[in-house]
Amino acid sequence: MNAQIPRQLLRRQLLVGGKRRLAGDVSRGFSSSVRQTQQQTVPPKIPRDAPATTHFGFETVAEALKEQKVGAVFSSVASSYDTMNDLMSLGIHRLWKDHFVRNLNPGRNPLTSPPSSEQGWNILDIAGGTGDIAFRMLDHASTINNDAHTRVTVADINVDMLAEGKKRALQSPYARTPRLKFVEANAEKLDMIPDSSIDLYTVAFGIRNFTHKDAAIREAYRVLKPGGVFACLEFSKVNNPLFDAVYKRWSFSAIPLIGQLVASDRDSYQYLVESIEKFPSQTEFRDMIRKAGFLVPGQGWEDLTGGIAAIHKGVKPAK
Amino acid sequence: MPTARLANSVLGSFRASSFRPALWRQRCLYHSYEYSQPAPFPPAESAILSSAIAHVPNYGFTLDALKLGARDAGYLDVSTNLLPRGVFDLVNYHLVMQRLALKDSVQFPAEGGQGNGKKLGIGAKVRTLTLSRLRANEPIIHRWQEALAIMAQPSYISPSLAELAKLADEIWFLAGDTSVDTSWYTKRASLSTIYSATEVFMTQDKSKNFAETEQFLDARLEEVTKVGGFLQAFGEWADFTGHSAVNVLRSKGLRI
Repeated sequence: MNAQIPRQLLRRQLLVGGKRRLAGDVSRGFSSSVRQTQQQTVPPKIPRDAPATTHFGFETVAEALKEQKVGAVFSSVASSYDTMNDLMSLGIHRLWKDHFVRNLNPGRNPLTSPPSSEQGWNILDIAGGTGDIAFRMLDHASTINNDAHTRVTVADINVDMLAEGKKRALQSPYARTPRLKFVEANAEKLDMIPDSSIDLYTVAFGIRNFTHKDAAIREAYRVLKPGGVFACLEFSKVNNPLFDAVYKRWSFSAIPLIGQLVASDRDSYQYLVESIEKFPSQTEFRDMIRKAGFLVPGQGWEDLTGGIAAIHKGVKPAK
Repeated sequence: MPTARLANSVLGSFRASSFRPALWRQRCLYHSYEYSQPAPFPPAESAILSSAIAHVPNYGFTLDALKLGARDAGYLDVSTNLLPRGVFDLVNYHLVMQRLALKDSVQFPAEGGQGNGKKLGIGAKVRTLTLSRLRANEPIIHRWQEALAIMAQPSYISPSLAELAKLADEIWFLAGDTSVDTSWYTKRASLSTIYSATEVFMTQDKSKNFAETEQFLDARLEEVTKVGGFLQAFGEWADFTGHSAVNVLRSKGLRI
């Protein structure tokens, strides 16, 4: 299921992948909505020897298509991204992001740390097009840790989201400073980032849209310095069944409707809620991080607002 | 002596799960002579925390000490994210390591050895062990109030109390206490209160070699013995009086 895998292996991989996906769907059935059940009853439209497939929301699409389709979604929502986030999460996404950044505590306080050659952290913010996390990181480093050297590289696959971020950067004190850099990049192939060069790799509400999540995590492992941290803020599974029912009702009825009314784009927001539903649970995702070689702190994640979102972390071992 | 003994905390000890053999590998709920306990912390966390503890006398129980510890262990500042509870993990590390060190730092003359002169009573052993545990706080006593403040934060109160219960249990176990009645609970509860009170007293103690702390501890232990003795005597008296009263009434023809 990987682009780097030689041709002769691809066919076998495909078959295995298809079976595994089917099994995955069955095991997830109990928590899925009516819509998903309907989806499962539809016979697979993809013939056996079709190219590798993945899910795009509840649809099954060719892997090559997913990137393109996700691109289209985010291009269409880029301009109204902030307003929509506020409306959909009732403003809570700001608290999550603040907590995420405060918890990571970026920045090297020059008053308390011993003098050494390196100054500040080198942070890579993946899928951070609009700069939400990047500005918070830099603000935290400067105001809390008195660190004027920590720098953030914002990488996003989508030019429209990056353009939105660059526009917002002009209103921040970090525009045209070496502390903030925008890069167009695919998280699965970060060729412009050298090995072992990053202190902190963050991805907030982005990894859900990646075609190969495991490849992205492996790439994160490669670019991180030994001891560096992979931190991911992402939607997850709600723990309380009662709250889950309310949350499902909200996400499957209200969010597409808000999308239609405010951004006049129902389909993109339908994709959004479906992709949240399809994302692995806390334990599954923790195991994915572990599999890439990371050490996970404690149980491996922290639930936010009853599990609507979760912060996953992994630390690259020092030796 | 029993090979396996229920321990841990007052609440957790009677859970049936503690007998399940599959569980002991993860969390040993009892003291075992047959199996060695697993390491209390994973290697990476252990490396960071043990180097960080060395910075506590200068930097206190702070994030700075943790960051310096991470640097010393070959990690980065950001690696302190490996410890989800931050500074509380540092405090907890000190508590756990000092509790586990107790069994090696205090050696009593061999059990049941004849001709060794007088045998040390359980009370005296408890005193020695408690003092030894208090002395382990000596190098960081000027920073211990910070640790107490961290432990008093709402989300850390319950793990701190659990750790206190484990310490009290460890002390009674090492002293050779084998009680299986309700005194199992009262012994641990009273030692927990005495220990925590003495610990707070010690943070203010300016006397040479903490002589006043020692006096304070002795006074508290004596009080407990007195109160315990009084309660026992009172119980016997009430029991006797009650029975006599019933018997007097029966002798008057009352059908009780």
